[in-house]
Amino acid sequence: MIYQDSRTLLAVRDLRATVNGIEILKGIELTVKSGEVHAIMGPNGSGKSTFAKVLAGHPAYVVTGGEVAFDGGPLLELQPEERSRRGIFLGFQYPIEIPGVANSQFLRLAYNTLQVQRGKDELDPLEFDDFVREKMKLLEMNPDFLDRSVNEGFSGGEKKRNEILQMSLLDPKLAILDETDSGLDIDALRVVATGVNHLATRDNAIILVTHYQRLLNYITPDFVHVMDSGRIVKTGGKELALELEARGYEWVGAETSASAAANAGAAR
Amino acid sequence: MTEAGTGNYLDSLMRGQAPLQAASASPLWLKQLRARAVERVASLTLPNTRDEDWRFTDLLPLTQLSWRPVQGAALISPQELERCALPEAAARLVFVDGRYAPQHSFNHAGLTVENLPAGMTAQGAIVEAELARHAEFEHDAFAALNTAFLQDAALIIAPRNAVLEAPVQVLFVSTQQETASYPRCLVIAQEGSELTLVEEFVALHQGAGFSSAVTEMALADNARVRHVRVQNDSTAAFHIASCAVSLAKASRYQAVSVALGARLSRYNLSVLLAEAGAECSIDGLALIGGRQLADSHTLIDHAKPHGISRQLHKCIVDGAAHAVFNGKIMVRPGAQRTDSSQSSRNLLLSGKARVDTKPQLEIFADDVKCAHGATVGQLDADEVFYLRSRGLSDAAARKLLTYAFGAEVIERIAIASLRARLERAVQAQTGEAS
Amino acid sequence: MSSILQNLVNQPYQHGFVTDIEADIAPKGLSEDTIRLISAKKNEPEWLLELRLKAYRHWLKMEEPQWPNVKYPKIDFQAISYYSAPKKKKTLASMDEVDPELLRTFEKLGVPMNERAKLAGVAVDVIFDSVSVATTYKAKLAEVGIIFCSISEAVQEHPELVRKYLGSVVPVGDNYYAALNSAVFTDGSFCFIPKGVKCPMDLSTYFRINTENSGQFERTLIVAEEGASVSYLEGCTAPKFDTNQLHAAVVELIALDNADIKYSTVQNWYAGDENGLGGIFNFVTKRGLCKGVNSRISWTQVETGSAITWKYPSCVLRGDNSVGEFYSVALTNHRQQADTGTKMIHIGKNTRSTIVSKGISAGHSNNSYRGLVRIAPVATGARNYSRCDSMLIGDQCSANTFPYIQVNNPGATVEHEASTSKIGEDQLFYFAQRGVGAEEAVSMIINGFCKDVFQQLPMEFAVEATKLLGLKLEGSVG
Repeated sequence: MIYQDSRTLLAVRDLRATVNGIEILKGIELTVKSGEVHAIMGPNGSGKSTFAKVLAGHPAYVVTGGEVAFDGGPLLELQPEERSRRGIFLGFQYPIEIPGVANSQFLRLAYNTLQVQRGKDELDPLEFDDFVREKMKLLEMNPDFLDRSVNEGFSGGEKKRNEILQMSLLDPKLAILDETDSGLDIDALRVVATGVNHLATRDNAIILVTHYQRLLNYITPDFVHVMDSGRIVKTGGKELALELEARGYEWVGAETSASAAANAGAAR
Repeated sequence: MTEAGTGNYLDSLMRGQAPLQAASASPLWLKQLRARAVERVASLTLPNTRDEDWRFTDLLPLTQLSWRPVQGAALISPQELERCALPEAAARLVFVDGRYAPQHSFNHAGLTVENLPAGMTAQGAIVEAELARHAEFEHDAFAALNTAFLQDAALIIAPRNAVLEAPVQVLFVSTQQETASYPRCLVIAQEGSELTLVEEFVALHQGAGFSSAVTEMALADNARVRHVRVQNDSTAAFHIASCAVSLAKASRYQAVSVALGARLSRYNLSVLLAEAGAECSIDGLALIGGRQLADSHTLIDHAKPHGISRQLHKCIVDGAAHAVFNGKIMVRPGAQRTDSSQSSRNLLLSGKARVDTKPQLEIFADDVKCAHGATVGQLDADEVFYLRSRGLSDAAARKLLTYAFGAEVIERIAIASLRARLERAVQAQTGEAS
Repeated sequence: MSSILQNLVNQPYQHGFVTDIEADIAPKGLSEDTIRLISAKKNEPEWLLELRLKAYRHWLKMEEPQWPNVKYPKIDFQAISYYSAPKKKKTLASMDEVDPELLRTFEKLGVPMNERAKLAGVAVDVIFDSVSVATTYKAKLAEVGIIFCSISEAVQEHPELVRKYLGSVVPVGDNYYAALNSAVFTDGSFCFIPKGVKCPMDLSTYFRINTENSGQFERTLIVAEEGASVSYLEGCTAPKFDTNQLHAAVVELIALDNADIKYSTVQNWYAGDENGLGGIFNFVTKRGLCKGVNSRISWTQVETGSAITWKYPSCVLRGDNSVGEFYSVALTNHRQQADTGTKMIHIGKNTRSTIVSKGISAGHSNNSYRGLVRIAPVATGARNYSRCDSMLIGDQCSANTFPYIQVNNPGATVEHEASTSKIGEDQLFYFAQRGVGAEEAVSMIINGFCKDVFQQLPMEFAVEATKLLGLKLEGSVG
């Protein structure tokens, strides 16, 4: 939702980043205010997932230019765990499997770390168990999954629900959900979307990174951005997503390269 | 294997073979290759059970036998040929007691499928670049022997982007007892080509014999080779074979090998994933009884990143037979994102049957997914009971389940007539079992 | 490997100090005279000297094993001193008479030699270099008929028991290092749990190598009679030297009908420095015989030290329905090499064995699991389950698995599973993204990975093992 009195949560200016020396992000501009839901769409290889990971501070990517302000402060100099503790949440496209570490143990550690950060009391295992079970109901999750190793042997749907469960526990200011809809059947998609809608408030914001419009039937974006070759090349409302669904991505690319050519012509 | 002087069994094998005919027609490099192999044979000895690779396979019984030279023409009867021929084949090469039999061979494949000396006239440079480059004979006495006697051999070359759906059959037939033969096969699949090779080793007698076979395959970028190998030698025979496969970028090798015959058989299959993104799946089935020994040693060597390998090896062991499996998976430094899994499943049907299995992993890269598993056991009692509760006799239930155990591998063969033939063979053998 | 990982694996060795204590050290070198000297110093009966000499003559004819997946320079057996004992003034009447320097040493190592010490409930035999220096709670254990003393003492006090069992599980010519040990062993622990007795406390031996250029060849013998049970713990440390010290121990366990022996080890010998200089060569033969029906022998080991580890705690399951277990965590870092695993030899009917092995490799180390499961033709109904997992930290190390499975009976079931996993950038980033720092993440992953083994350890040992792994890995993750 767009609110008049909202404040700017994320301001990205001319962000550039490389991986293994190859430039993937080539000057991203984006502003996200509290209460808003943004969708970033684009063809495979356009840099959507890279953008998500760079915001979360993945060590494989090197930021080579630009600025990012989050919640009023500079973001890029922070370690990944500091970004998390300040309220950036990344829902992974491929959640990592961690054999041997029980999901309940992992969730409690993450939750308590944040509680300490916020100057609140940690929950002991019993208190936490009650707390997390409540949250799990929302996502229609089977309680036995608390005892299983983190993401190990989870189906695609279970992994994504687990991501949203973590989001609900950590209560982030900005949730970036990277291809959360991939690998989900229609029921799982509905459950995940319901969870996300439930967590969206006036004070936080959500960025959905997705290839397909399907997810946007369930979570209505305020803005839709199209990424191509490391830049946001088009921004519109939710109707842009439908147009992309109908026409594919090529026309956006053609349109932008045509306008780029026109610009280049004008500059000459 | 230890180095040794003269007077060993290998020398007697060298002396036992008729001198190479028409060897003078060979190009110089081939003569030199043979000469090097002869030298290696002279300085190597037969491996024994003190060699880790031969711990469970004792070659002593072999050394008590000697072999006479092959005589007469390389011919078999039309009925005999009919029994082993694949109706689907687009090309066939037949070797009788190690000698090429042109009257039984044909080629409609549109690829080079020829006896080596003939094929070399047009493709000499390509052959020179690959022959004996993959199956090393420096430390392998049997490969050295084979190379020393290298004369007639199957040569298959698929040119760039050639795609052949129908199989190419290479048939090695033994008709004369108490002889030795040295089957050889070279497959070169150039960029983007696809082919299916069926190698069969059959005996038309029940007597003793010795064969030492070598197969080499070189797959260029994006090539794909399906390889079916059926060993159905005489149950008095000694069959020692190796196959070395080298995979270039994004090439795929799929193999199914089935060991049914021989008193003692040994198959060394090594697949080198030499470049990134190569894939292999190698499956095996040994179905043995009586006093047979079937030994399968495989090596999957992940040398470069993003390789994928899958392996299922099964043994069904009856009587006082002995199955040996040693499956090594090597992930070399830098071969990141390797994904490998291996499974060794063994079924013992009798109190005297024995299996030694050793699936091993050697991993020198951290970002890899490797898993292996091994099981040894008998038929599941619950499954037997279930079938009996549906009215099958105990024997019938066991036969059915044993058959199903072996069928999992045979089903992976894409050639219908061969699959049917093998299924009948498994049924016949498991029928005896119950 | 990123810097967080680097920092996490590089913690200095904490037990690397040398105690300045006067020692009685035999001249370097090995000969029949050396053996006669050791035997004479220990006032041994003739049969034991004969056993030593037989072993020595056997050893002379043997060759050092080449098959382990480890590399090291040839050992000069003549450059080693085969006997080193802290000099004592007279026979000790009580613990209070132990050399205060020694007491301080073990205090520093956290070993309770004093019976009034806080960590009550564990009886300790302390071996310093080659000699047992103290055994606690002896009298209390004797009340229930348990003999717990140094093996030298047992030879004097209970020769019939020692003679009956010594070498009965590991024969003098069993293997190269076992033969060497049988020839020159100097001390070790002896436990005898009589029929029907459940040992009321954990028994423990603490081994300390102190002298440079001395070898440690201890011998442990544990006998549990019918229906008896015991839990035994072993800890090991050594000072830092630039040279390598040889440790070639032999442990024999015998469990009669319905007896139960649990043997736990936390091995933290000095591992050498990050370039592989110095460290202990740990060549150990450990074997348990489940001689009686329904007997059980369980090995648990946490191997973190030594430059080279060559060790296969094994079970010979002779009694029908007997049970063998092996739970192992082996961690290698820097230039360490470990070739360790187990052998489960199933002879009796319905014998069962479980193998759980967790190998962690970091730095430039090389970590191999080598195991043998053999089902003899008569072992109908035998079952084995094995699980061998490897974890790699960094791309300069290696992890290998060599499981040998030999089945000679169609009524047996053997299952083996193995997998590899890693702690890498992606795992740590996932934790970090949820607000959890690298150190905590690594500790959680490692403990999760080793959980099945740590559960087998007695409480205090489990805590110590967890801490130890954390220390060992400090600096290697990230």
